[in-house]
Amino acid sequence: MFEETEGAVYGYRCTACNELHYPKHQVCRACAGREFEEFPLEGEATLVTWTKLYNLPEGYMKPYLYFGIVAYGNGIRAAGQLEVSSPRLGMKVATTTGLVKEGGKDDVIGLIYR
Amino acid sequence: MAIDKTEQMLRPQESPLAPYEAKYITLANGQKLVVHQLKREQAPLAMEAVKPLMTVEADFYDIVASRVYAELLGWYRYRVKDEYLLAGTIDGVIVGLVNGRTIDDKVGLSYHTITLRQGLRIGAQLFAAKMEYHFDVLGQEEVWIVAESPNGFKRWMIEYELEPRPEQWHELGGVPTYVLTRALWEKHRQAKCTGRRPVPQELLETASQLILPESYAQIPGYQRSV
Amino acid sequence: MREVGIVGIGHTKFGRSKTGYIEMACAAALEALDDAGVKPLAGHGIDQVLLATMGASMINHQSSVASALVDTLNLRPAMAETVENGPASGASAIKMGYSLIASGMADTVLVIGAEMMRVVSGWEGTDFVATMLHPEAEYDLGLTLPALAGMFTRLVMDSYGVTERDLALVAVKNHQNALANPVAHIRLVPDLHAISEDEDKDAVNPYVAEPLRLYDVCPVSDGAAAVLLCALDVAERFPKKPIRIAGIGQATDTHTIAEREVPTDLYAVREAARQAYRMSGLCPDDIDVAELHDAFLILEIVESEEVGFFKRGEGHLAVREGKTSLGGQIPINTSGGLKAKGHPLGATGVSQTVEIVKQLRGEAQGRQVTDAQRGLLVNFGGFGNNVVALILEKEA
Repeated sequence: MFEETEGAVYGYRCTACNELHYPKHQVCRACAGREFEEFPLEGEATLVTWTKLYNLPEGYMKPYLYFGIVAYGNGIRAAGQLEVSSPRLGMKVATTTGLVKEGGKDDVIGLIYR
Repeated sequence: MAIDKTEQMLRPQESPLAPYEAKYITLANGQKLVVHQLKREQAPLAMEAVKPLMTVEADFYDIVASRVYAELLGWYRYRVKDEYLLAGTIDGVIVGLVNGRTIDDKVGLSYHTITLRQGLRIGAQLFAAKMEYHFDVLGQEEVWIVAESPNGFKRWMIEYELEPRPEQWHELGGVPTYVLTRALWEKHRQAKCTGRRPVPQELLETASQLILPESYAQIPGYQRSV
Repeated sequence: MREVGIVGIGHTKFGRSKTGYIEMACAAALEALDDAGVKPLAGHGIDQVLLATMGASMINHQSSVASALVDTLNLRPAMAETVENGPASGASAIKMGYSLIASGMADTVLVIGAEMMRVVSGWEGTDFVATMLHPEAEYDLGLTLPALAGMFTRLVMDSYGVTERDLALVAVKNHQNALANPVAHIRLVPDLHAISEDEDKDAVNPYVAEPLRLYDVCPVSDGAAAVLLCALDVAERFPKKPIRIAGIGQATDTHTIAEREVPTDLYAVREAARQAYRMSGLCPDDIDVAELHDAFLILEIVESEEVGFFKRGEGHLAVREGKTSLGGQIPINTSGGLKAKGHPLGATGVSQTVEIVKQLRGEAQGRQVTDAQRGLLVNFGGFGNNVVALILEKEA
């Protein structure tokens, strides 16, 4: 099931004070700045928590999916789908992106941690 | 009653089916669900149990109850080949039924799962027991399944990751056929199929009373006349 | 500022509604008007109607429902608005009704919470509820409320030693309470051993979002509840003694849960409760009964800590010791809670208020907390990104 990484998911750096945000905010939480530059979420991250979700919402024809929240070294925390065989808290995972939702109006590319 | 020649010709050639050994499952409220096989002569009782639901439109109970009724009648009157029926009982009261038949040694055909008492995942346990019968008792290789309600579809097709095989005709007709293969059964058995054997004698005796439900949450105000 | 009290309550049986949306909402409203002795004829004296709902537009395909309710209830020309604040819509609407009365804009406000979820399938409902998550960073991934709750539960278990059995203890308690509440959705008490230890547990109480199981999650329910608010200076118009709204607090938190500074905290619950205590001049020890938003059972435990009943990380110990059961130190969710009474989103905050009013009036038959004088409720929106807390007090 390992797919080539498609697209990218971005974090946002305040151009005034360098505070990092994910997802996008309209106003910087540190300095109230309104200009941001994008940077890709990439590389290794630490698994903060995870779940195996059953009863997926309308549109998913799978019995379950794994999800996790990860922390990057730069302080960003993000949620993504998780594709590791036996997840445990504190393990290192790699950032990839891929198809996270299909069958709707548009396919959605999002974060998948492996 | 003597069976005349024409009647004899109308009756299917039955294949012997290995019996399903009764088991029991402790439900969420602590009650014991006994899953056990019913004999042909008990079919009329099972038909009485589903009959009131034939008028309940919600959750497709009308379709499922009517078809189960017809399938059991067909079995009882020798018009269906190699059919079987498993019942779930709590304190002797019938709370759910599953039935099906075999096409040949290798292939099974799932008919219906009907839950009379809702809210305790009884349908899920009975469906799993039915698959256990096909694979682990009869040693079959695959079971063909169709769903008539969205709930059924979600529960069986998605949770068991059934293989779609729309080109293969299921005798219930209508919707496309899905197949539980042995490989998929092996994958999901542990999470889905539970229960203990043997059933203690006392529990089994209570189960064999086959008491008809007094009321149905699906039919407000219904009270079985005594 | 004028003081505000509650002089009428109404509540439909939660579960699967047999009527349409408007009729269901009206049933609760009429019961509240009857309870308050109000006849909906000319001179009825209702100045404002507020309807709390999260899904009337999206699920039931009806908009501007408050205006429709005013007309069909014969309450014209009362002012009317629909309030949408996710699952916290109910307590939000009560807060707004309070503000209208306190400011002098109105003397009486009828607040109705109503939600009809069971007209769509469970997975459509799950999808609808998930639309309150962050569109790109959460919803698009397939995340749902149970998924966030599962991840939150794992963190709390890891940090404080909460076990699956602790959650099952809360389930048994709340289902037991619901048996004494005639309007509760689920009338079944799970067996502690069967759902937490028995070898059949994975089949009869399967995981929904690990480590959360079926019996750790509220059902999907239809239902409506209503309360009539009035200024205390006009309360003598009504037959029943008012229950005073002593404190209100509300706070918000980050939209995505990944951004929370301390991921095991429910900051908005803590802050909303702090404000409600400050406004009322009360402290956690003064509270006799509480309704906490237990859509997922871990929330009851952590909320019981965030509102100050127990120390951080000790809420589950209190459950083990029976401190949150009827007859305990602080009975929580005597109504059965969202877990067993049901959780019709927009109705929930109003329903929690109805339960506290019943407790303070001494009308909670079979689940009455002896001599209850003050009650607290927490109505939780999103996954804790918008929380309303109310404190109600019996008038001396």
